[in-house]
Amino acid sequence: MNDGYKLVVDDLQLGYRSKRSGAYNAACRGLNLEIRNNEFVAIVGPSGCGKTTFLSAVAGLQPISGGRMDLSGRPIDGPGLDRSLVFQHASLFPWRTVLGNVEFALQAQRKLDATGRRRARDLLELVGLGGKEDLYPKELSGGMMQRVNLARALVTDPELLLLDEPFAALDAQTREVMQEELMRVWQADEVNEGKTALFITHDVPEAVFLADRVIVFSRGPAHVVESIDVDLPRPRRPELKRSREALAYTDYILDLVMRQATGREPGNDTGKERADDSAAAVTG
Amino acid sequence: MTALRPSPVDALRSSTAKGTDTRKPTRWSRHRELWLGLIGLLSVFVLWQLAVAVGVVDANFTSSPLGALGSLFDSIRSGEVWPPVGATLASVGIGMAITLVVGIPLGLIIGRTPVLYGLTEQMISIMYAVPFVVFLPIIIFWFGIGGEARIVIVVWSALFPLLINVVAGGRNLDPDYLRVSQVFCASRPRTLWSVALPATLPYILAGVRQAVGRALVGAIVAELFMGTDGLGYVVQVETSNFEMDAAMAAIGVIAVVAVVLTRGVAYLERRLTFWSVND
Repeated sequence: MNDGYKLVVDDLQLGYRSKRSGAYNAACRGLNLEIRNNEFVAIVGPSGCGKTTFLSAVAGLQPISGGRMDLSGRPIDGPGLDRSLVFQHASLFPWRTVLGNVEFALQAQRKLDATGRRRARDLLELVGLGGKEDLYPKELSGGMMQRVNLARALVTDPELLLLDEPFAALDAQTREVMQEELMRVWQADEVNEGKTALFITHDVPEAVFLADRVIVFSRGPAHVVESIDVDLPRPRRPELKRSREALAYTDYILDLVMRQATGREPGNDTGKERADDSAAAVTG
Repeated sequence: MTALRPSPVDALRSSTAKGTDTRKPTRWSRHRELWLGLIGLLSVFVLWQLAVAVGVVDANFTSSPLGALGSLFDSIRSGEVWPPVGATLASVGIGMAITLVVGIPLGLIIGRTPVLYGLTEQMISIMYAVPFVVFLPIIIFWFGIGGEARIVIVVWSALFPLLINVVAGGRNLDPDYLRVSQVFCASRPRTLWSVALPATLPYILAGVRQAVGRALVGAIVAELFMGTDGLGYVVQVETSNFEMDAAMAAIGVIAVVAVVLTRGVAYLERRLTFWSVND
């Protein structure tokens, strides 16, 4: 039944119990979405809407409270070799070199052989860190750390690549560069082969530039507001960001996100329900 | 050096440059603290020697720097100095080896297991705070006054500072590192060896530095009270024989051993945790 779908999320409930008060905070409620094979999907939504929690759940780091989440037709229970996560904060091991950090992913999965080593070096070359293999993280800039972070995630050749706002902590210029770099890496033949990507961001232009499809989350507890196919040709060039079509998509999606963020919603009753939810979250 | 006339600004700059120190650091300024320390030490020795020379104090009781130095050279020439140094270092070495083998894994396990931490935290703090010498009579009662008892005292004194640091390291392990390990499906032993151990290495080495200092104290105290050899025993015996020069010489050797040991660990810390961001 999952033909053509990498990830199927059906009426998913996610949440966590506050350690202090024991109150239950819902992060996602009644979430439904599908991601097709080889799709690059970006999820945007107001900050604190539970998109990062959702990504953690896909990564297998967060238990599911209800509903279903199937990856390649099998329910997700815990982390797996078929997924990689590009962390929001690079989370590199400071005691390992750039190459050592990338190789850790292979080591952890017991795949560090000659082929793996070569692949690690090739990927570092691809993300623009050729010749920097022996540096330590404290010698790297924020952008370079995220390149290592990306190479580490790609080296295990995952079917599903998860990216958790990887450029959020970078300065504006570096972020632009990294978006273009990610696009270039993603479009490189050796990487793209049989891969699906799920990218979390709050930067709408970034989402439009990178993704085949942008899914807008409501404010927390999250559900899907709308899914927008970004019908822009690939391979995408940096100029595309400033194109009229991209800007039109950006405006449309930004409007949806802003409506979520400010609570301006058509339909009074749903608005009231949301307000109740957030009030419950505050008291909880 | 060009045809350009120096502007007033240039003149100002060069005058301030003359005012501040733009010269290359001299040997003095680079090692200022070391030199001052040596001068301070030397002053005390000179005052001490003067006090002996003018008869303010009796050299039979206080020894003198020159007398101690002479005694030290004698013992080096005769080779008598080495067996006690070897004995003390052996106690410290064996005691530290046991401390490390027990303390590092135990500390990591306690630090990573909230229940164990809750159960042991108070106990470890108390054991760390209580001066370990109070256990000396009991340890002698249990283990006698042989070599094993000395090792027990060294371990007893060194274990708790190490344990406290390793436990703190285990507790402060960055959850982001563990998430990386989890996402890439690393096994538990792999996580322990490749993530938890290196991540806590700065804490471990800080603990080792403290532990080595305490281990030496433990070894010397044990030798003072129940030794048959070792530097502490030499100090004890020579003082009893009113050989103050020899006793002072032995104390000098202990000082050198102490400095070498702690500096050695500090060097190790710099070498092994050079990657640490907050250094």
